[in-house]
Amino acid sequence: MNGSLSQRIYLFTLSCCLLFTILLGSVIWSSQTVELAFSRDSYAQQLDNQLNTLKQLVVSDNIYANHYSVGNWLVLQRKLTSLLKSSPTLTPQQKTIQTSIKSQNDSLKHLFGQITKNKLKNASVAIKNHLKARLMTQLEALRSDSLQLSAIAHKDIHNTIKHEALFIISVSAASIVALLFGAFTFTNIVSKSLDEVKRAFKQNHSGHFQKIRLSHRSQEFDSIVKAFNTMNEKLSETTVSLEVMKKVVEERTHVLEHLSNTDPLTKVANRRALFERANMEYSRAVRSNNKLTLLLLDCDLFKNVNDEFGHLFGDELLIHICKICGQEIRDIDFLARYGGEEFIIVLPNCDIAGGVETANRIQQSLAQHCIAIEDKEVFVTLSIGVSTLTERHKSLDQLINDADKAMYQAKDNGRNCIEVLTPSNLH
Amino acid sequence: MIAVSKTPLSTPFYVAKAIGAFDGTCVSVEFDQVVGGQRAFAKVISGEVDFGTSSDSVIAFQSLANKAFVSHAMFVQSDNDVKLITRPSAKINSSIDLKGKRIGVTKKTASEYFLSTLLALEGLTTEDVELIHFKPDELINGFINNEVDAFVPWEPFAFQSAQLLNDQIKIHNTKSLNILSFNLISQTADTLLVDKAKCIIQGLNIAIDYIVSNPAESKQIVINELELSAELIDWVWPDYIFKLALNQSLILSVKYQAIWAIETQMSEFDEIPQVEQFIDSRAMLQVNPSAVNIPQ
Repeated sequence: MNGSLSQRIYLFTLSCCLLFTILLGSVIWSSQTVELAFSRDSYAQQLDNQLNTLKQLVVSDNIYANHYSVGNWLVLQRKLTSLLKSSPTLTPQQKTIQTSIKSQNDSLKHLFGQITKNKLKNASVAIKNHLKARLMTQLEALRSDSLQLSAIAHKDIHNTIKHEALFIISVSAASIVALLFGAFTFTNIVSKSLDEVKRAFKQNHSGHFQKIRLSHRSQEFDSIVKAFNTMNEKLSETTVSLEVMKKVVEERTHVLEHLSNTDPLTKVANRRALFERANMEYSRAVRSNNKLTLLLLDCDLFKNVNDEFGHLFGDELLIHICKICGQEIRDIDFLARYGGEEFIIVLPNCDIAGGVETANRIQQSLAQHCIAIEDKEVFVTLSIGVSTLTERHKSLDQLINDADKAMYQAKDNGRNCIEVLTPSNLH
Repeated sequence: MIAVSKTPLSTPFYVAKAIGAFDGTCVSVEFDQVVGGQRAFAKVISGEVDFGTSSDSVIAFQSLANKAFVSHAMFVQSDNDVKLITRPSAKINSSIDLKGKRIGVTKKTASEYFLSTLLALEGLTTEDVELIHFKPDELINGFINNEVDAFVPWEPFAFQSAQLLNDQIKIHNTKSLNILSFNLISQTADTLLVDKAKCIIQGLNIAIDYIVSNPAESKQIVINELELSAELIDWVWPDYIFKLALNQSLILSVKYQAIWAIETQMSEFDEIPQVEQFIDSRAMLQVNPSAVNIPQ
């Protein structure tokens, strides 16, 4: 059903009115029916009394006596006849008896007429007695009928009261059930619909713009839902959810972070990232008493290359060196551009020998893989300074400084070589 | 098995059978159609049938003979069933004119009883007339054959006479002079028979309700069953009152008719019977107690 709630309320109110009208009507009707049943009983009682009086008259008076006057009889007979005419509405069963009473009353009148006609002057005592007995029988038959009428009326009263009581109880019970059902249904529709709308608002709050689907349709809630669903549709089109936003921000942050930590030319870590990572590795090595070695690599005669082949080739060369270094170091090692043509490689858990070995591999690889320009092969070399963490080092800067010193020693020693800063090398 | 007298007075039985009123009760009913309540009575006493339909006059005469029977219920009454029919040429205007006439009656039935009371009204007795006895369906032949000047038939024979002889007969207005009732009788009943009677009365109760509510349909049922004309039914119907009862008035009626029969020497017996012993109210009390009015 998809009616409006107000219609339902009207319908419910109308039904209540109807039920109470039925109830009221049944009470009135019942009282009338009971009243009618009582009037039938009273009618039967009056008939019985009248017939008894007639019977007493026949018993006490000698109807064949010369001085007997039929006046009394006729008065009573007329009363009986008019009483029969004024009967209340009778039941079909009572009507049958009423017809019998009327017919027997006619017989009674006729018989009495015959008996009193000339006082049966020619008749014998036997027939006189017999006819008087017939008169009594007739009266008795009438009385039996009136008693039956009364008995039916009594039964009728009993049945009427019983039926009416049952009817009123049934109508009342039905009314109460209908009212409760109506009230329950109405409350259920309203509360369920409200819950569904409330739930939809909550979901909106958490960014789920879902449509409301009402389990009970009603025009009022349908219009609210329609407006809500239209609003939600627009919101879902125009609003980015918090989670999506988070993801976007994370992605952007990641890109930005990457950009801020990366050297734009060589795409290896820049100086900022170097210090961040190297500091972390330094702290970890100090804390865990682990080894930590740094390589500081400087491209030999890079200025000459630039001058001879141009800056663009110089850039290409730096990218090439990074590629070679990247291939020769472990996953846990960290390559960064330190500045100009200088690079630093952080080697965690690596002692001085390991550092020298890595530096050797890089130099060999670079020697084997030259870079070409206009079909001409260009060979470059690296001077590499190696320093390793010792108790003497109080900061990362000191460690870098040692590697720098070692690199300058390599430069001093004719370039393309590896130098380690040993205590003997210290000033 | 019920011996049903072939008269419209037996309407409740025919209607009950036609509308299936006995189907819902505890007996299977078969009809043995007989002419007159006296024959029905004879069949009950001989044990040929379980129940029969008889008038209160028959009950009065048979109670004098102290037969072992009981009446369970009255189901119809008429105050104009038995009629006096005379030949117009006999110039009979009142009962006194019957003196010395030949009158056809059916012995020991309402016919004979009714004539005796008619005569008595004018101080006459059956001694003052010449009574000729006929079976109910042969009364008219006696009249046609000029064996009688008057006859006292009951319906439907009175109507058939009127149709057959038209202006050759005079039907006297004797309405209300005799009330005839028809009753359900059986041999003196044991519990089993009372139970059967109860079932039959239940069927009759349904039928009587139907007759009161559907008189036209009920008339048609009787017309079909007895092969009578609609005119006859319309002729007798207003005189009939269909109702179930077992009253003091039946006892009184039977008693006074019995006394009358003794006094007028219609019966060979002379002892006034205890009529109450011929009334068995057990079945009626179970079906329709409000219709039972007999001092205990």
